[in-house]
Amino acid sequence: MENQKDYNAAEATVTETDTELTVTVYKNKSHRLWLTVLLKIVAYAVLVLGAVLLVFPFLWMLLSSFKTGNEASLQFTFFPKQWVFENYKELFTGTDFPIFRALGNTVLIEVSVIIIGTFVSAMAAFSFAKLKLRHKTFWLLFLMSGMMVPYAALMLPQYRAFDAMHMTDTLWPLILPGFFGNVSMIFFLIQYMRGIPNAYFEAARIDGANHFTCFILIMLPLIKTAIAAQVIFWFVGIWNDYFAPSLYLTSRNRMTLQVLLGQLNAGTSGKYLPMALAGAVLSSIPMLVIYISCQKFFIESLAISGVKG
Amino acid sequence: MENTVNAATAESELSVPPQAPPKKKPRSRVEKRENLVAFLFILPPVVGFLIFTAISMGCTFVFSFQNYYVRRGTSEFVGFTHYVSLFSGMFKAGELGNAFIKSVGNTIFLLLSLPVSIIFGLVVAGLLRLGDVKGGKIFQILYYLPAVSSAVALNIVWRYIFQSNGLLNHMFGTGTPWLSDDMLLKVAIVLKNSLNATGGAMILLLAGMLNVSKELYEASSLDGAGKFKQFFAITLPMLTPVIFYLLITGLIGGLQSYADSQVFAKGDSGAATIVYFIWQQRTNGAAGYGIASSASVFLSVCIMIITLVQFKVSNKWVYEE
Repeated sequence: MENQKDYNAAEATVTETDTELTVTVYKNKSHRLWLTVLLKIVAYAVLVLGAVLLVFPFLWMLLSSFKTGNEASLQFTFFPKQWVFENYKELFTGTDFPIFRALGNTVLIEVSVIIIGTFVSAMAAFSFAKLKLRHKTFWLLFLMSGMMVPYAALMLPQYRAFDAMHMTDTLWPLILPGFFGNVSMIFFLIQYMRGIPNAYFEAARIDGANHFTCFILIMLPLIKTAIAAQVIFWFVGIWNDYFAPSLYLTSRNRMTLQVLLGQLNAGTSGKYLPMALAGAVLSSIPMLVIYISCQKFFIESLAISGVKG
Repeated sequence: MENTVNAATAESELSVPPQAPPKKKPRSRVEKRENLVAFLFILPPVVGFLIFTAISMGCTFVFSFQNYYVRRGTSEFVGFTHYVSLFSGMFKAGELGNAFIKSVGNTIFLLLSLPVSIIFGLVVAGLLRLGDVKGGKIFQILYYLPAVSSAVALNIVWRYIFQSNGLLNHMFGTGTPWLSDDMLLKVAIVLKNSLNATGGAMILLLAGMLNVSKELYEASSLDGAGKFKQFFAITLPMLTPVIFYLLITGLIGGLQSYADSQVFAKGDSGAATIVYFIWQQRTNGAAGYGIASSASVFLSVCIMIITLVQFKVSNKWVYEE
């Protein structure tokens, strides 16, 4: 919200100084006007071209998912010669690439990780923000130091451990780590919770509520929107995650959507190419819906992260 | 980051005294109890960190000095052998060392998309401001679209665009072998990644531009500076923190790239990155596991150094208020 205001304000001052300029150096007025118009034309042209370049792959994905395998791989056509729905039908009904199983697996990971992980993260954030914890700074830095360790440095021992427990090719290696919370979520929620007055909790404590009750009955309802925002980010992250799932999941019935998509792509003799594209379309739709409906929030949180970072 | 944390905790401690009882007692039973409860609340993330980060990291370190016999499940200590063989490819042609050096080279080449995307982002954001373009929000939404989309889906469609009879070759009437030539393959990845990362860079740079104090512009326009001069003399220097942030986060992410090698290049050695090398080596005989581990240690040391440099340097040469 604040951002939006700043944006307008800044825009206003720019135009203001602009007119000021044209007044003070009126001799150059026509020259300047000409330059401004040219700049505007160039700006729109470049911006529109860029937008077309970036959005086009999505359209291309959609168009080409209606082509036959031969048409997509052997020749070049812009629009499908003949619109076929076989690719989608094959994905929905075929057994080679069980897309509904993949969807189910993805949702299973999303739901279990997000419900438990969010609860755990919020609880830790509550402790950091509102309780008297000794060595608070140490523990926070301790947790945050994990953010600079790349997953590549952790995957081999983790894989070996999950293998020893016969958990490879199950969803457990992807679900279990999520149960222990998410550091960036903890960090974000701490900052949000600090803004909530202590008086709420003191009053409840006097009435005999314990810390856990305070957290559940007072804090959680107050930070609903902040949690929702973080959950959306996490949801998108898990949905698009490819690296770890592709390491662990090897049989097609166990795969998440992204890993199955990777399989569709890897298996391409040209026959599967439009099917892979159809799969890409299907897996993108939920993210597009979420992104478009929450776009303001996505862009604003990104902008804030950069200004603060 | 460190500073924010310290400052923030200091702040919260400052806000405590008014509510605290006037007499300072030694730690009461109530306080001890609260401390215990507070610790229990943060216990799950702490345990998770210990298991999934600290212990895992330690194991990787230990494994990097070992040979691992998968069938027998035993290990033997081999000292720095794996580290030596990783880097031996630089001096003499050993097949394995070569593969690693090549993967380092590939990873660094692919990082080219980073400066390119920042320049793209700067151009787009600059034009949006200079041209006083209406509907900036819509452009931001469209440009950021690839960043929230799945890397796999994007790689599939971009591969289709780059294939020998694909859209790109058709449009320009060329027969460029984008996907089968080692160098062109990397160029293709850099091109698509630069485009896809433009939106993020643009949004951050725009936010940075709006943060520049308006007085600077007013003062300079009184001195007769035009829009272009203002852009290069004021806006650009003031954007160094954002550019630095983009570089560091991009560097850390880029060093860990995997999907490009696996999905876009389909495992072609011409675009195999360090992480791809690590995952491939893992099953390559008794030494493979140790070699993969030592490459992981190398990678994480690089990333930790970059992160620490960020903390140090960002205060020095980057303009910050």
